[in-house]
Amino acid sequence: MTSTYLAAELGPVDGIAQYAWLLVALPLLGAAILLIGGRRTDRWGHLLGSATVIAAFGYGLALFFSVLGLDPEQRTREVSLFSWIPVEALKVDFGLRLDPLSVTFVLLITGVGSLIHIYSIGYMSHDENRRKFFGHLNLFVGAMLILVLGNSFVTLYLGWEGVGLASYLLISFWQHKPSAAEAAKKAFLMNRVGDIGLAVAIFLMFANLGTTQYTEVFERAGELSGGVVLAIALMLLLGACGKSGQFPLQAWLPDAMEGPTPVSALIHAATMVTAGVYLIARSNPIYDLTPDGRLVVTIIGALTLLIGCVIGCAYDDFKKVLAYSTVSQIGYMVLAVGLGPFGYALGIMHLLTHGFFKAGLFLGAGSVMHGMNDEGDIRRMGGLARKMPITFVTWGLGYLALIGFPFLSGYYSKDAIIEAAFGQEGWRGWVFGGAAVFGAALTAFYMTRLMLLVFFGEKRWENLKSADGRAYDPHESPKSMTVPMIILAFGSVFAGFLLSNGGLLSGWLAPSLGKLQVAEHGVIPHAVVPLLTVALSALGALVAWLIFGRKSVRVPVERPAASWPVRAARADLYTNALNDWLVVKPSLLLTRAFLVVDNKGVDGIVTGTATVLGGGSSVLRRTQTGFVRSYALSMLGGSVLVIAAMLVVRFA
Amino acid sequence: MLLAQVEQVQVPDLDFPAIAPILIVLGAACVSVLFEAFLPRSARWAAQFGLSVLTLVGAGAALLAYLGDAPATGVTTLAGALAVDKPALFLWATLLILGLGSVFLMADRRVEPGGAFAADAAIRPGTIQDRAQATTVMQTEVFPLALFSLGGMMVFTASNDLLTMFIALEVLSLPLYLMCGLARRRRLISQEAAVKYFLLGAFASAFFLYGLALLYGYAGSIKLSAIAAAAGGSDRSDTLLFAGIGLLVVGLLFKAAVGPFHTWSPDVYQGAPTPVTAFMGACTKVAAFGGILRVFSVAFEATSWEWRGVLWGVAIVSMLIGAILGLTQTDIKRMVAYSSVAHAGFLLIGSIALTDEGRAATLFYLLTYGFTTLSVFAVISLVRDANGEATQISSWAGLAKRSPVVAGIFTVLLLALAGIPFTSGFVGKFVVFSAALADGMAPLVVIALLASAVAAFFYLRIIVLMYMREPEEDGPTVSLPGVPTTITIALGVAVTILLGVFPSAVLDWSVVGAFVS
Amino acid sequence: MNTALLLAQTGGEVTTGEAVAFWILGPLALAGGLGMLFSRNAVHSALWLVLTMLGLGVMYMVQQAPFLGFVQIIVYTGAIMMLFLFVLMMVGRDASDSVVEVLRGQRFAAAVFGLGFGVLMVTALARALTDVPARGLVEANTTNGGNVGNIGRAVFTDYVFPFELTSALLITAALGAMVLAFVDRRHTERKTQREMVEMRLRGEHDRPSPLPGPGVFATANSVATPALLPDGSVAPESVSELIEATSRKTLESDVAEVAGTVPGPDAHALTGKEGDR
Repeated sequence: MTSTYLAAELGPVDGIAQYAWLLVALPLLGAAILLIGGRRTDRWGHLLGSATVIAAFGYGLALFFSVLGLDPEQRTREVSLFSWIPVEALKVDFGLRLDPLSVTFVLLITGVGSLIHIYSIGYMSHDENRRKFFGHLNLFVGAMLILVLGNSFVTLYLGWEGVGLASYLLISFWQHKPSAAEAAKKAFLMNRVGDIGLAVAIFLMFANLGTTQYTEVFERAGELSGGVVLAIALMLLLGACGKSGQFPLQAWLPDAMEGPTPVSALIHAATMVTAGVYLIARSNPIYDLTPDGRLVVTIIGALTLLIGCVIGCAYDDFKKVLAYSTVSQIGYMVLAVGLGPFGYALGIMHLLTHGFFKAGLFLGAGSVMHGMNDEGDIRRMGGLARKMPITFVTWGLGYLALIGFPFLSGYYSKDAIIEAAFGQEGWRGWVFGGAAVFGAALTAFYMTRLMLLVFFGEKRWENLKSADGRAYDPHESPKSMTVPMIILAFGSVFAGFLLSNGGLLSGWLAPSLGKLQVAEHGVIPHAVVPLLTVALSALGALVAWLIFGRKSVRVPVERPAASWPVRAARADLYTNALNDWLVVKPSLLLTRAFLVVDNKGVDGIVTGTATVLGGGSSVLRRTQTGFVRSYALSMLGGSVLVIAAMLVVRFA
Repeated sequence: MLLAQVEQVQVPDLDFPAIAPILIVLGAACVSVLFEAFLPRSARWAAQFGLSVLTLVGAGAALLAYLGDAPATGVTTLAGALAVDKPALFLWATLLILGLGSVFLMADRRVEPGGAFAADAAIRPGTIQDRAQATTVMQTEVFPLALFSLGGMMVFTASNDLLTMFIALEVLSLPLYLMCGLARRRRLISQEAAVKYFLLGAFASAFFLYGLALLYGYAGSIKLSAIAAAAGGSDRSDTLLFAGIGLLVVGLLFKAAVGPFHTWSPDVYQGAPTPVTAFMGACTKVAAFGGILRVFSVAFEATSWEWRGVLWGVAIVSMLIGAILGLTQTDIKRMVAYSSVAHAGFLLIGSIALTDEGRAATLFYLLTYGFTTLSVFAVISLVRDANGEATQISSWAGLAKRSPVVAGIFTVLLLALAGIPFTSGFVGKFVVFSAALADGMAPLVVIALLASAVAAFFYLRIIVLMYMREPEEDGPTVSLPGVPTTITIALGVAVTILLGVFPSAVLDWSVVGAFVS
Repeated sequence: MNTALLLAQTGGEVTTGEAVAFWILGPLALAGGLGMLFSRNAVHSALWLVLTMLGLGVMYMVQQAPFLGFVQIIVYTGAIMMLFLFVLMMVGRDASDSVVEVLRGQRFAAAVFGLGFGVLMVTALARALTDVPARGLVEANTTNGGNVGNIGRAVFTDYVFPFELTSALLITAALGAMVLAFVDRRHTERKTQREMVEMRLRGEHDRPSPLPGPGVFATANSVATPALLPDGSVAPESVSELIEATSRKTLESDVAEVAGTVPGPDAHALTGKEGDR
């Protein structure tokens, strides 16, 4: 599909769509009331917070059905809200773009968001700052909706920064944990790197086209020279890497698990981290123009999915394994959207199914940890299936969906991506297809390991005490936590089939992403791919069982020393060190130049010295002596210079 | 006798509706002086405050009434001494509403018990009598002084010849010099500020006057239009013209606190009573740049090629001085003073783009900056410890924990000063810079962006200080503002946010077209 | 003055008499200005300024502006400068500031910029004003009521607004003088002696009689020495409450000094080395 199709006439905005601003306004209003209202709203704050998101979900559903009633050509619509700076030639308009893609995201965000809000009522019930937590969650939902609903890159950027802020606040929600503050800082820094990429891309568009509206940018993207398009594509990719935890900016995502578990589920698994995929899919007319840019996207996706899988095999922290799993699954999505028209819709589909089962897996993990005195080390668990039946069943369904068990969600969405990867011609087909299918095997391995260590085998926790000295007493979680898990488990099971049946999703998304193309000649026949994938996944699971699952194997509570590859994986494949060296150090150096001035403030006296600016400032400051005669002198000096310059300019 | 043949004197035309706002303000100032003379001390505050508010509202009403049927191109009246055109009316409206906010701040007697001004400024600081007057009710002469000053500012922005402009400059300055010295707390530093401001102001006036004389020598007239005509086509040596422009500009830049003629501003901003600082920061800036705009566009447009390069340099110096020196300030009022120097540089960029867009952008920037500054100083006056205002920046640490509302408001204002999107400050900078870009001043805009990035650092530093740090044990508290201060702060913050989010209406008003001469 | 004489003086050229007058008055006025700047004594400065003003006044008259010349002499030299002198004398003419310059480079830079400014202005003006035909004031002085009449006309027509606006300046100045100099003593009025006595006798005061003086010079020369009552007992009111309330500790150093037990000044203190120990 070409970009001209996308820039086709926008449909008329009428009926329920006129009130689309409610989607954004509701959660933001909730956030405002909760954060400004302070302690007064403590008693009912969590209810209000959940209500706004559920209301937004209700509206989203109504909107969805109203869009279904339209012709596909009319499904792309824009609601203009207001003109911000209407100076001639420099118009910045704010509006909402309602098309299948954004409506899909609206449903995902508000739907999963509602479930997780409900879950949090139970999960955070003992936290005295629960109201603040809900305020931040609402802020996140509002910002995320701005991100996906905006009709220009500037609006997207606004939401982009908004979710970044909310994510920062939520990761560091338990400020008393130094690791949480550290993780928040790391997330903040790495996201900044990505944000710079996005900002540069927007600036390039503005400089070259004079606009950032989707309609105009996509319509006129063809006017740009190849180099500029490539630059924009790469800069957008950098932005996507930062937000979605893709190589080389993936390291913040596992650390972000320091936040409360609902946050991990909502922000760092289901929604925010998929913003990068959304960005690339949304910018498809730009990527369509640059095969080189798409190739880079694909490479990054393939690389990340492998890195995520390998590291996921080595970690012992429940949520961090899931986090690396997220990294690797988003790698699949990025790989898919990198395939261009062959994969945009597949990427979004995997995004949706992943949203269901990964959110479910995280909530399950939260439920397990909730029952285990907030213990996260899987080596201290085991045999929990009996103690937590509902958690076990729902988690198990999510697990099966993730490893691509036939006819569950993951099977449809992931296999489609693997198939499309193999569908590429020449070496690309072999490399990307191979990486994807190998990743599937690894995924099965580490997920099975997780399953076995947590829910089966010996009850290793029986003779242990948690860090705060209590004995472990695993128990099932309350209804408000299990019900969302059950609902998500249904999604994990059926979503894939429903969405892919007869190309339902790809047809629905066609007005936004173009028609899904299917490769004619792949490097291996179509029919073979699912078989191959399932076989390799089964192999991965089998190996995991052989190592961790057999009765005769005793899993040590302490981490055993290991060979080099495992050590490398445990050290995040040294990517952290690489990141430190490539990104964190330089940016820290840069910021430190400013921070030195600020550090003086840490001592209570805000006097900056010792930086270039600060130093210059101090020197200049000495000219401000407090004596009138020296002030008069500087005025006289200025006057002499001004007059001399006037005369020189005139008579030189 | 020869001398007996006298022509009938032609009475100059007088367009009452057009100049009604000026007449109301200056007339009320005189009435206010009479109040001082004849009312008992106990009744003065209420009477003066009421009169001032009534005056400003009345002048605003007169302005609105005139606006309805004002000729689109403007009129000159009083034998061409005053030019009442759309830019002047916009500036008048800005001045009146900012002046109203300032009067509210001056009238507040709750933030500082008794008011921010000394009860009897003539008593020597530090004496027993001075200590005795620490809590008695303030002197009310500030109200007539403020009205005179405001009247001077209004005349200044509308004056169509250099003599009127000079006298208006003095009318606006003299009351300011006086008001600077009337602080209730820290009286010595306040009086020092007043003396400094007076001496340097007189020095700057001398430059202005010298320039005026040279321009008269060049053009044979002090009317702006005559100077423009002479500069447009004349065979006289234009050494006089350029030396005159240079000297005149120095006088104007001094009032606007543009670097390197800014040296007075940190000391005076710090020493003056905070309501007066607010008045100076907001209204004087508007008046000075209004005058600069008029002089440049009307009188010197033909020679813009020559002087523009020089003013580029001045703008750059001003922005850099403001941004860099602001970094190391330890007193919040001084920091805002340096910030205003940087802002003056930005405003100068807009002023020397002699296009309709540049003019509109500068006017808009002045409006937004005025409101933000007014509220900034209003908030500063609220944060107090035992010695009065706690202006040491370090003592603001952890303010958000003590008073989240004040810290939130101040954050919004600082973000506006830094020019963060969705505040009026961003829109102001955006329109000024885009007008400058359109007029071919790209390098200047790049430097301006760099300067605003540096300046943003010291605003953000205060935000970080307020939110990220624990408050000190004996740190300052936030006193509850009286109704007038509350109104001013609320107005300022509302305008700051509204103009950031919905600037289009005011942006449309600010497109005022050309000056009349 | 008649028409012929007036006409003879005009006509676009500078007469010899005018030139001679200029070359005498000009240097005098300049010398006055410099003298005002450099004399240390404020009264001398004022008198030097008078010289400058007089010179200018005469020059105005020579240049056919008699009204301006007389105003200059009567108002500026006569009224304002004399008032200035009165004020100087009243405040004290020997009040002089320190002339030691503490700012490094201030004088040098001031000299450089001052000279630079002077050179710029002089060259600019010289360049602009050489070979400019003199215009004279014939027209202004002969038509429409002559010199004074035309000034009046200008003030009441073209410059009526600036002229009126000046009143705002004058009012402000008067108001400022009041604010800065006038202390309102009405509400802090002191009671007369008679009122005090009546108050005391009515019992509105602590005691009807004044406090007894301390016993200074009776036995010691310290105000801390109480007076003795006729029966030889101590009168406690005779010692200031302040002294009673001050703890002995804070007075120890004074006591020691009076007692002569404090070591004398150390000569080594001047070198600074011994003091560091």
